[in-house]
Amino acid sequence: METPQPGSGSHGKRDGQKVSRLSIVVPLLNEDGNVPLLVGAVRDALPQDDSWELILVDDGSTDATPAEIRRAVEQDPRIRSVMLARNYGQSTAMQAGFDVAAGDIVVTMDGDMQNDPRDIPLLVATLEEGEYDLVAGYRMDRKDALLSRRAPSWVANRLIRFATGVPVRDNGCSLKAYRRDLLERVRLYSDMHRFIPALAAGTTGARITEIPVRHHPRRLGQSKYGITRVVKVLADLMTIKLLRSFRLRPMLALGGGALAALAIGACFAILAVVPMLTDPTYSPSVVFTGSALMWLALSVFLLMTGLIAEFVVQDYQTEVRGHTVLAREYVP
Amino acid sequence: MTPAEMRARPTPSEPAAPPRAADSLTVIVTVSERPMPLDELYRQFAPAVASLGMPYEFIYVVSPWGRGLTVPLRALIAEGAPIRLLEVGPRATESGMLIAGAARATGDILLTLPPYYRVRPEALGTLVERVRSGAVDMATGCRSRSGDAWLNRVQNKAFHALLNLGVKDGFRDIASGVRVFRCQLPGEIALYGDFFRFLPILARSEGYRVEEVVVPQHEADQGRRVYAPGVYYRRLLDLLGVYFLARFTQKPLRFFGMVGSAFGGVGAIILFILFVQRIMGEGISDRPLLLLGVLLFVLGVQAIAIGLVGEIIVHFGAGNRRLYRVREIDNDPLEGDRSST
Repeated sequence: METPQPGSGSHGKRDGQKVSRLSIVVPLLNEDGNVPLLVGAVRDALPQDDSWELILVDDGSTDATPAEIRRAVEQDPRIRSVMLARNYGQSTAMQAGFDVAAGDIVVTMDGDMQNDPRDIPLLVATLEEGEYDLVAGYRMDRKDALLSRRAPSWVANRLIRFATGVPVRDNGCSLKAYRRDLLERVRLYSDMHRFIPALAAGTTGARITEIPVRHHPRRLGQSKYGITRVVKVLADLMTIKLLRSFRLRPMLALGGGALAALAIGACFAILAVVPMLTDPTYSPSVVFTGSALMWLALSVFLLMTGLIAEFVVQDYQTEVRGHTVLAREYVP
Repeated sequence: MTPAEMRARPTPSEPAAPPRAADSLTVIVTVSERPMPLDELYRQFAPAVASLGMPYEFIYVVSPWGRGLTVPLRALIAEGAPIRLLEVGPRATESGMLIAGAARATGDILLTLPPYYRVRPEALGTLVERVRSGAVDMATGCRSRSGDAWLNRVQNKAFHALLNLGVKDGFRDIASGVRVFRCQLPGEIALYGDFFRFLPILARSEGYRVEEVVVPQHEADQGRRVYAPGVYYRRLLDLLGVYFLARFTQKPLRFFGMVGSAFGGVGAIILFILFVQRIMGEGISDRPLLLLGVLLFVLGVQAIAIGLVGEIIVHFGAGNRRLYRVREIDNDPLEGDRSST
């Protein structure tokens, strides 16, 4: 076990700067009714000192959310705000919060009051035991509609677990606590927030655990999720699976595909030629020959794509080598 | 600074600048295709610009072949007109010309003007005021087409119908070329090639507030215009490019995966049907459908493979690419630190 290093974050290195130990990042999209409730609940749940900061990220809301955030910021110096220039999506909003977070521990949660800030101390305590880099909450008793929310979520979690091999029960629960070192090695973009544990475990070797957290029904405002996101989640899942397996050795995937295409092409070639062995006057089937040639072309194409991909990875590896791997010294 | 520190450092906040008395204006004329006499252009538009009551200058950006076009401007310059000339290399695109002009502009507000007449001179004041008051970050002229030739109107409608099919931004006159914005903006936008044309879309996707303002069309712009077929084809490719850039830059595999799954899926179905028929004892060696099935499947796999390469580029590049733009940050302990960088 090691103690968190105050200087591990890039913001902590500056002299004379008070460093908050805990940063809570909350992305907000059109939640004007929930902002005051959220701020109140966080204040009640955490100690009455400045050992924490609350970062409210406005993701291009079109209602009174920015005004509510400004009001909260004026009332309490521990509350900070980041106003994005337009709606970028939850992952990018979280990343914007991470980029200004000063704490050694970062907690994320939803702004819809369905997560309970009273769970934060337990998450942080679990993380501080030092055994883990990421503590994820899972919703014990979900208060959402069964058909439109819970059922797709159940399927999605199973798929994510199957595809990534990371046994996280509830990827959709935003309430999670991270060591800062971990976040500095994972860069969120697109809709990747759902897969932080998978990304983290796959690319940095982070150690992850889960603890149960409370869940409340939505009282104010509109849910931003619909059933349409299922398609997106599936597409992202394929992306994560491919990235996780092959981001550092794309030739393995593409070269493997090339070999398979070559084999299939060979089968077609055999089908085209074999009748000639028994009947020398037989002219090979144009369809089989054409098919064989196309598989051959695919094989060559995949091989070349693999080379380009290797080139890309090698190009970036010079920058990131040793940086994405989460390592720590320990005393046996 | 280590890469980690650079990565952790967010973009500086850029609140909308309040109107300042000291605002000055630079008019950038990128002299590309079919220019009108440049001195006449100045005489038409300069009075409208001067009437805004702010210091101004005109910068004409020309390619080497356009050097001769600037000869008539000499007389104006000799008379003391605030005109500057800028020559770019022979291969510079309109985007490059704009960036070169913006880099040397002294004005806080930039106005781009095509080298031909698109809008009435009085339109410039309306556009500049929108940006100067801080109401928007970019005001772009939308020609009111009441007097326009019907062929032009049909072409314009068709183009924007296609554009909004993909981009869904609701722009009605992306190509007017008359745009007003603050001088920092071009440096913040990845501008290259022919995307000059789509600057408002790129600006909006960077989080800038962009507004289309309806302004009177110039009479000289109302003549019927027909272009060579190659021009229409290039515009279509541009549309495809801007559609991809606006929607999928962060998730190429979603785009290529969609295309690839569609092709590959149909191909797989065809192959499966033929496979079943073969099992049932039917000969398939003379069925062209087999060729189609293989072709579609191969195309699908290729699309997904290319998407994977794109995704790897985005994945590794995410650390160096700016993912978002911040309008303001409050209670920021690093405030002083940031403004110094």
